[in-house]
Amino acid sequence: MALSKRRVYLAGLALQLFLIITVSSRDTFWLLSESRTIFPESSKNYWQRAEQIASTALGQRLPVTNPARQILTGYLDLAGIEAGYGFFAPNVPNSYKLVFELRFPDGRVGRTQSEALRQTIVGMLADAVWREHSDATTIRAIFGSVMLPSAPEFEHGKRESYEFLYAYDFSVSDKSTEQSAP
Amino acid sequence: MKRLPELRLRVIDFCFPAESDTWLAILRIGLGLQVVLYALSLRDDWNYFLAGTGHTLISRNLGEAILSLESYFVPRLGWLVTLGARIGFREETVLRLAWICLLSSGCALLMGIASRFSAILAWFLHLCAAKSAGFVSYGVDNFMTIGLFYLMLSPLPDRYSLDRRLRKSRANDPQLLAFWRRILQFHLCIIYFFSGLTKCLGPGWWDGSNVWRALIRPPFNIIDPEILVRWKYLFPVAGIFICLLEIGYPFFIWNSQTRKIWLICICAMHLGIGITMGMYLFAFVMIVLNVAAFGSRLSRMECCTTSLQPRKAVS
Repeated sequence: MALSKRRVYLAGLALQLFLIITVSSRDTFWLLSESRTIFPESSKNYWQRAEQIASTALGQRLPVTNPARQILTGYLDLAGIEAGYGFFAPNVPNSYKLVFELRFPDGRVGRTQSEALRQTIVGMLADAVWREHSDATTIRAIFGSVMLPSAPEFEHGKRESYEFLYAYDFSVSDKSTEQSAP
Repeated sequence: MKRLPELRLRVIDFCFPAESDTWLAILRIGLGLQVVLYALSLRDDWNYFLAGTGHTLISRNLGEAILSLESYFVPRLGWLVTLGARIGFREETVLRLAWICLLSSGCALLMGIASRFSAILAWFLHLCAAKSAGFVSYGVDNFMTIGLFYLMLSPLPDRYSLDRRLRKSRANDPQLLAFWRRILQFHLCIIYFFSGLTKCLGPGWWDGSNVWRALIRPPFNIIDPEILVRWKYLFPVAGIFICLLEIGYPFFIWNSQTRKIWLICICAMHLGIGITMGMYLFAFVMIVLNVAAFGSRLSRMECCTTSLQPRKAVS
C-alpha cells in the first residue's frame, strides 16, 4: 500500500480515536462531578469544568441547529461512539420497580412486575401487560423506588424494600389513565 | 529530531503489519449470529415497539422527534416508513419487511453471502431500530453498532466466506486487514480502560457491595439472593478483580505472554455476566469483539504471519 494512502488511513484513525477518547472522558468527568466517588466533594467544580471542555471539543456547546454539531453528532451515532463506557460505575444505583395489579371480573387480583425508568413508559408497559391479560377490567401500575439491602443486612433478614412513588389506574373501557402520587 | 521519522515509521509499521483475515471471519460470523439472535429476540414485539402511533403511549414518533433534536443525519425507521408510504406500503408492512431484511442480513453475514452489502444492511437496519426505539435500547445496541460499523468498512469478503469461494476473487491487502483490526483493538482498549477507571473511582467496587447490588438488582436478579449471600466473602475479591482486569486490559492484552490469560479472563467475565445477570446478547457481542480483536492472534499460524516489531516500510 502506498505511503500516502497509509497516511490518509492514519489520519482517519487518529480522528476516530480522538472522538472515542473525548466522549469517554466527557462522560467520566460527568460521573465524577455528579456521583459519590473517592475524590473529595470540593473537586466537583474541576470535573464540571473538564466536562465542559470535552463537550466543547465535541461541538456540544454549539447551537443545536449548527451544521457542524449536527454532522459531528450524526457521525458519533453512526459509529456507535456517542456514549461513554461507565457501566455500573462508579456505583450501582438503586433501581425502580413497577408492579401491575390486575383485577379480573370474578374478583381475582393478580400481580405482575416490570421495570420503568421514566414515568412516561408506564402506559406503554401497561398496554403490554394488557395484551397478556385481555380479560382484566382495570390495571393499577404502582411505581416505586427499590431499596437494595447490603449482604450483611440481607443475612439479618432485611429484604428489598419498596418506596411508593406513583400509582396509575387504567380502565379497560376507554384506556383512560388516572394518576395518584404519595 | 532524527528520531521523528523513525518514530513515524514505527507507528506506520505498527498500524499496518501483514495480517491474515481470520479475525475478520470471526467478526463476520459472530456479528451475523448476533444479528440473527437479536432479530429473533424481537420477533413478537418488533411492530409493537416500533409503531409510529397507535398501540403504545410511547411511540416511535416521539423517540425520533427527540433524535431529530440531536441530529438529522442519524438513520431511523421513520425514513423507511415515509419511503414505503410513497409507494403505497402500510407502516406495518414496512416494519415487517425491515425485520425480515435484518434477519436475512444476519443469515447472509453468517454464510458470507454478499458480505459487504449484508454488513451495510445489517448496520443500517439495526441502527434504525436502535435509534427509533431509543427508550428501550441499551449497551448491547451500542456494541453491535460499533462492531457492524467496523465490519462494513473492513476489506470484505474474507477467505472463509461463500463470496470468496464462489467468485474466486483475489485475497485482500494484508496490511489493510491489519489496519482495521488495529482500530478494533484500540477501541476495545479504550472501552475497558474507561470502564475500569470509572469503576475504580467508586468505593463500592473495592468492598464488593457493587457486585452484590448488581446481582440482586432487578431485572438482573437471576440468582436467588439466598444463594448469593453464602458467597459474600468473594464479592470484594470479584469487585477488585473486575476493576483490575478492565483497567489493565490496554496494558496486558498487547504482551504475547499475558494476552492469552487476559483474553480468557475477560471472556470469562462476560460469560459470567451473561449467565448470572441474564444479559446473553450483551455477553455474546463482547466475546465476539474480543476474540476477533485479539483471539485469532493466539493461534500459531497467526503468530507467524504477524509481528509487533518494526519492519521496513513499503511505499
